[in-house]
Amino acid sequence: MKIILAGIGGQGVVFATKIISHAAMARGESVLASENHGMSQRGGSVQAHIKLGGSVSPLIRRGTADALIAFDHTEAIRNLPFIRAGGGVYVNSLNGLDPAVMGRLQELGVSVFTLNADACAKELGSPAVTNLVVLGFAASHGGLGLSVDELKESARALGPAKAVELNWKALEIGASQ
Amino acid sequence: MSLQLLLGNDAIALGLVQSGCGVATAYPGTPSSEILAGVVKFKKKLGRDIYTEWSASEKVAFEIALAASWSGLRAATAMKQVGLNVAADPLFSAAYMGVVGGFVIIPCDDPGPLSSQTEQDSRLLALAAKIPVLDPSTPAEALAMTRAAFELSERYRLPVMLRPTTRVCHAVQSVEVNNVAPYLAHPAGFKKDPQRFAATPVFRLKLHRELNDKLQAIETDFISSPFNYQLPSAQEAISHSKLGIIASGVACTTTQEVLADLGVSLPLLKIGTPYPLPRKLIMDFVAQCERVIVIEEPDACIELQIPDRTCVSGRLDGTIPNAGELTPEVLTALLAEALTQAGVAVPPPPDDSALAGLVQALKIPPRPPRLCPGCSHRSAMYTMKHTFGPQAIYPGDIGCYSLGTNIRAIDTFVDMGAAVTMASGFYQSSKITGDKRPIVALIGDSTFLHSGIVPLANAVHTGARFVLLILDNHTTAMTGAQPTPANDYTADGGLATRVSIPDMVRACGVSFVRVADPYAHAPFEQLLKEAQTYAHSPAGGVAVIIADRPCVLYDRSPITANPIPVVVTEECDGCRYCVEAFECPALVLSPDRSRVDIDYRICVDCGQCIDACYKGFIVPKEIAIG
Repeated sequence: MKIILAGIGGQGVVFATKIISHAAMARGESVLASENHGMSQRGGSVQAHIKLGGSVSPLIRRGTADALIAFDHTEAIRNLPFIRAGGGVYVNSLNGLDPAVMGRLQELGVSVFTLNADACAKELGSPAVTNLVVLGFAASHGGLGLSVDELKESARALGPAKAVELNWKALEIGASQ
Repeated sequence: MSLQLLLGNDAIALGLVQSGCGVATAYPGTPSSEILAGVVKFKKKLGRDIYTEWSASEKVAFEIALAASWSGLRAATAMKQVGLNVAADPLFSAAYMGVVGGFVIIPCDDPGPLSSQTEQDSRLLALAAKIPVLDPSTPAEALAMTRAAFELSERYRLPVMLRPTTRVCHAVQSVEVNNVAPYLAHPAGFKKDPQRFAATPVFRLKLHRELNDKLQAIETDFISSPFNYQLPSAQEAISHSKLGIIASGVACTTTQEVLADLGVSLPLLKIGTPYPLPRKLIMDFVAQCERVIVIEEPDACIELQIPDRTCVSGRLDGTIPNAGELTPEVLTALLAEALTQAGVAVPPPPDDSALAGLVQALKIPPRPPRLCPGCSHRSAMYTMKHTFGPQAIYPGDIGCYSLGTNIRAIDTFVDMGAAVTMASGFYQSSKITGDKRPIVALIGDSTFLHSGIVPLANAVHTGARFVLLILDNHTTAMTGAQPTPANDYTADGGLATRVSIPDMVRACGVSFVRVADPYAHAPFEQLLKEAQTYAHSPAGGVAVIIADRPCVLYDRSPITANPIPVVVTEECDGCRYCVEAFECPALVLSPDRSRVDIDYRICVDCGQCIDACYKGFIVPKEIAIG
């Protein structure tokens, strides 16, 4: 399973990578992921490549990702070339992806799912959990090969304790969209 | 034995702790910063007594660890690749003098570069300094190589380089970690040996010959190293292959996957010990193939050492690009080309050019990193530009404030500490060229303590005239808020003595030294003007202003004590001055570009942007409502 996570520095792409990696490892899958650290926290474009099940290289090649999960609309567009024919795209977006690309994505058999994760996070009173809303959404649509419950278990294990309740709500609200 | 999710840098840190490292030092630098933090984390978790230090510079870090090694302790020092340039002086000398306790040097390379000033290859410095190198391709391999590095260092009594790259340092992998019995050492302390540790040139010659002998023995050892092996396994009969690959590091693992995706199986020799290269192993492999391509990054190191390159391609003949990261896309293209030349059919690449074309046509603007909302550097630089204008010369330095390039507040950054020296150099040159532009240098607190002090003493001594702005946000921010000598805490949260930056500046002989809050714009501007007047007055020289306010990311208390929520009024005409000249990420141009609004998700209520609109359209919320 090859997953690209995309977002803006500060949106918690690294934490989301940990959630997925931990859940995958818990079910016995080998994990190899590549993160952005350092300067990317200063609001720049951030990407993580996650490969589950026996990879040796931490990098995903364009056109081979099974899933693209984006916490930001613009970053979703920027990273579209990574998705494979028949893959799934899950995006935090107000109005859906640009029509210009939707046509070609359809031709490639790529399924596109969008939700307004910012609104969900706002409902919960915390913009910081937008990432988990999108993860819950992607999981419930089968995009991660992991269940929402597995992600919740991961969130519980990775803590911190006082954030777990909010993190669970974020995953659940995303799953219900 | 347990399965753990480990960041590459954590794997290295765990390896250091499990190997009984007694002293670990570092200066922060991406992609290496998590290594020392990892040692602190694991020493606490595993209950080990290890001295951990964020040193003032990489040279300092190296020498502290070297002394530990000579005291009989296992020692390690970590840095980014350009940090090795700073530690190069003691490195070259230490190679001759040797070690007692194992000494592992961990410079982290950054192909791309993703966040560095160069794509230099630390293995080439090891080659020049004559110390052996282990080159991991995954976090799991990094863990194993860390342990092996100490053994190698002690067997031959010389420093060993462990050289990961960004995609190992910042990769996360599920790794089998075995609980090794703690390494028990009984270090006797420093044992005098002046012919070695205080060697004068005549003894240096002897030590050099000794070093050459060590390298020869290590090369022989490396022939049977478990870190060098052939895939597919050597058992398979590959009597004569048109194309073979020699590869190392992440480039090797990516090559493996690209070949698998292309549905092709080629003989591939994986090298984990790039220097000294086990040449016999290499030439035996080369003899099996008609053509061999060497795939390594960020530069040629293995390739350079191959004695007979008649059938060898790589960076030297342009087969492998000589700049930029070896991404899966780059490797796919060049391997497909090489295979086609060798008469092997390859499938077309999987990425869809139509989709890529459509995405490109949308012209998505790049999203470079920016200073955080509320950053004190932004306030200082905005006022500085307002005071001196776009024509002044602004030599800058390395840290978060380097992002001042976005608002054209930084004209140069070369290496650590260069802000002060470049300012001096520009000044001395301006006396010859007749250039009258003001020179305002910018440097951070950590950078100043790293390598700005000597240049400042030099500037005072030579009568240079310029304004130096020391941007003191009380930490080494860009790399994750590591302490500097001006902080009162250590790497593991213990107490430390604070070194005073104003005192240091006065000690360099500077007469004009002021400390000011960059949030208070009008007084700050006044001070900048006074500094410039002083600098060019008859008895003038360097004028130093210390902009003193903690980093907003790590200490928001001054703001939460006095928040100033703002609104952009209805009258905003979308002129974009604030967005371009002040560039706070919380100031967002509306989709139709008709006005600017505040993104309250990330606004920190610092109120600094009020002065960013000269038309008065950004106001405190209480005024707007009232």
